[in-house]
This record gives sequence, structure tokens and C-alpha cells, in this order.
Amino acid sequence: MTDNAGTLSIDFLAGFTIFLIAFIYVATLIPGLFIGLQSRTIDYDAVAYRTGVILVEDPGMPYNPSWETLDDYHKGEVLRLGLAVSKDTPNILSSQKLDRFFCSTWAYPDDYRSRVIFGNYPYMFNISFQPAESNLTRSIGDDPPDEYGYIRRVVKIKGISNASIDDSTIQTYKFNSSDNVTTDVFSIHLNFTNLLGDEPNPAYQINPYNDQIMVNVSGMNANVIPIPPMTAPLSTNLTAIQICRSKPISTNLHPPVVCFANFTSPIVDNKQVDLPYPIENNLSLIIPPGFITTDLADANTQLYFNLTFDHYNAGILSEEKGYLNSTGSGPFEYNYDPKNITLPKLQDGVLEVSVW
Amino acid sequence: MVNDRGQLYTIEGIAAALIMLFSAYLVLSATSVYTPGDTHISDMQLEQLGTDALRMMNTPINSSSSASPLQDILYYNGVQGEFNGAGFNTIFLNYVNNETGSKIDNAPNGLHYNATVSYYDIANETTGTLPFYANSNLTGGEHPVRVTEWVIVNKTFPGGGGTDVKPRAVLVEVLLWRD
Repeated sequence: MTDNAGTLSIDFLAGFTIFLIAFIYVATLIPGLFIGLQSRTIDYDAVAYRTGVILVEDPGMPYNPSWETLDDYHKGEVLRLGLAVSKDTPNILSSQKLDRFFCSTWAYPDDYRSRVIFGNYPYMFNISFQPAESNLTRSIGDDPPDEYGYIRRVVKIKGISNASIDDSTIQTYKFNSSDNVTTDVFSIHLNFTNLLGDEPNPAYQINPYNDQIMVNVSGMNANVIPIPPMTAPLSTNLTAIQICRSKPISTNLHPPVVCFANFTSPIVDNKQVDLPYPIENNLSLIIPPGFITTDLADANTQLYFNLTFDHYNAGILSEEKGYLNSTGSGPFEYNYDPKNITLPKLQDGVLEVSVW
Repeated sequence: MVNDRGQLYTIEGIAAALIMLFSAYLVLSATSVYTPGDTHISDMQLEQLGTDALRMMNTPINSSSSASPLQDILYYNGVQGEFNGAGFNTIFLNYVNNETGSKIDNAPNGLHYNATVSYYDIANETTGTLPFYANSNLTGGEHPVRVTEWVIVNKTFPGGGGTDVKPRAVLVEVLLWRD
């Protein structure tokens, strides 16, 4: 006689199946839950740290010419957005790179993510920078949520050099014409051998390739005597800026200075202008970073920027004497002499990176 | 004869599954297990901050500066065995507490430190350590990180070198912690 011993009821099978499915589901769910709870902030902190290192200790890629000199049409050539002056100067940031990094023409987050955050995960981020003794914070990205990775780096920003030529400098170096002339030429000399060799530390170096060169001249009309004497002041135009160079062939030869190009759209008085450009009593000339390339001047080149000024009276070319002119005195030397140049100075700042 | 002993009913299986799911959800969402291995994150942030601060203190502001602020602080008019600790305190705290104006509110403020200067005692061929400055004392319960910077100082130190003043390397060591 058969009985029911050893059989399973349908209730038991259904219940056990549901239990088993739930158990497998929970078992597979637990590692995922732990990843979510544990690794998120750790991962974000690691990414923030890595981003901070790239920004503060790396000069970026390409390096020479440096990435910040590339315009918006060529931003696709930028591979990595480092802000350091060079790889040998961690924590010393370039002011030109900072300006380019926080410019308004780069789009957040796409233009930055692949060049400074990296990784396959679409991280969001906020990168902010503030110089010491300033309330002006420059920032890209959104405000961070409640949980995010974070790193803060103490940095210094390399300032820009500039030359200030005032009336007393003009008198001291005799940077004015003693002859009656209608055209004056004032020459600025960049001795690459000295600029790159006298100061080997990139943090303090005046690097004509990557740094802005700035010449401010004031009191240009202070000693001008119109010929013949006129009641109305002369008007003066900056007519041309010639770029000239000489390269030493050997130590015993003095090669000729050859003018080979014109600086047609210089930055004068803080704006890009076309020449001729009317000059009042003062002049501020900027040679932007990236303008001088290794094709233009190598490390042994003597480079000259010859500024040509024409003088007019009632629209007619007219003679004068006493205007800015370096023909007799020799060119103005843009070098490390503190009498001529305000040297690059390091300023404190702080950079923060948040990643989520 | 069939009886109900030892049987698991459908409703009980469903209930058990629901309880397991709910329990797992409750436990994992209510707690974040902070293992000892994770403390390296905050340590790393603090260590980076301290290292940066010392490095920047040991950087002259321009090429015509003969010494960095940290070198000036250690030189202290050449007084043997003493340093400008108050000056160090001002500059160091300024660096480590400096932050941007963005909405980042977990910046590690409330920092404390204890700084010492170690040097090589030439005469006794040992390492000497001098107190530098401390804005708080270590009681043993803190969890400090250690940051260091080698500095060249042109002065004599106790025990060694005599009156022969020449540049020598000393190690500035800072134990840094937060509340």
C-alpha cells in the first residue's frame, strides 16, 4: 500500500522557490550596494586628488608652444590642461594659463572633462581659484552636491614682467632724438641668450616664448620741440613695428641685424590695434605669449622690435626733435636689470577641486 | 497520512523574502561602514595641504630675493637655537586656512600643529631637535599627519659647527591635525 511519505507538497515547492530567488537576488545585490556606499566618496577623492596634481604640477600638453597660446579654433589640439609654469616648478602656476583655463569660450564640462578629469565615468566637477588678498574667485563648474571628493592646493602664481620707461629714464638713457626728424625709431632688444640663460629657474625666468612682454612708456611728449615752432602740438602715429633679428654665426663674428617681418596688429593700450595708430603722451605695448615662436627666434637669437613713429602737423609730415628715439643711444634692453624691468613676482593663491 | 509538520507555506516564503530585502535595504542605507583603511583619504588631504604650505613658504617671491620667508624665519638674525616662531605661525596658518570663495564648506579648518626643527650636530655626530612653534599641544588622542621640508639656513646651531657660519640643511617637521 502506497502512502504519502517522502513527497513534497506544492506549497513547499512554491515557497522554497520564492525564497531561493529572493536569496540569490539579495546575494547579488549586496556587493553593488557596498560599492555605492563605500567607494563613491573614496573614488571621488582620488579623482579630485589626481585632478589637483595635473593642474598644479603639470604644464599641460602641448608644452612648446604652450597650450594656452592656441586659439579656440585649435583647442582640439590641447591634450592636457596643466597650469604649472613647467614640470620642474610644482605649485608655481602661470597667470596666462590661468586666464586661458578660466576663459569664457571653453564649455563646461565637455572641453575640460577629457583634458583634466579623465576617466570613462562622466564626473561632474568644480574647479575654483582665488589669489591671496583678493575676493575675486574664478570658477568653472556647478556648485557641488552634499557628497563629493575634494582637494585643496596652496599655490603661487608667476606674475608678468614689465618695463616702465618714464621721462627720467628717457633722459638718463638719452632715448630721444637730438636731430630734427620726421620719423623716430625706438628699438626694444630681447637678448634670448641672456633671458633664458641668466635665470635658469622657470619660476622667475622671463621666457619670451610663453610669457607676456610688456613695455610701458610715459611722458613721450615731455621734451618734444616742434621744428619750426608751432602753437598746436604735433600729432604722432605709431606707423610700424618691425621685427628684426641677428643670430651669432661664430663668437668672432657680429652678424647683421635683419628685419624680416612686421607686427601688424599689436596690442597697444590693452587692445589689439591696426597700424598706424595715434599715440598720445603714453604708450603701452604688449607682445602676447605665444607670439614669439622657436621659428621666429631660437635660444641664441638677438630679437629687436623697432617701433616707428611719424609726426604730423595738420596732417602733413613735420619735423621735431626730442621724441622717443633710440638711434643714437642703442636699443632698450629688456633684461633682468631691476632698473629697467619689474621682474616676475610670485603671488600666493589657492586652488580647489571638487568632483562628484 | 499527510500532515502539515515541517512544511513551508507560500505566504511564509514571501514574508521571509520581503523581510530579508527590507532588512538588507535598511542596514545598508542607514550606515556607512568607515573602515580604518579609509582614513588615508582625510590624511592625504591634510598631508597635501601641509606639504604645499611648507613648500610655498620655502619659495622666494622673486629672483632678487635672497631668501624664502621660511629661511628668514629660521635665520632670525642669526640667533643660535631660536627662530621666529610667531612669524611662522602667522604665515603657516594663513596658508593652510586659505580657501576660495566658492561654496565648498568642508575645508579643513580648525587645524592645529606642532613644528620642530631637526639639524645635524656636527661635534657630537648626532641629530638635534629644537622646538619651533606649536599652536596646540599633542595629548595623545589626536591623529596627526607629518609633513616636512628641507631648508638651507645660514646660521650656527647648538652643539655643532662652532662659530663657523655656513649654509646647512635643516629639516622642518610639522605634525598637523584637526579637531
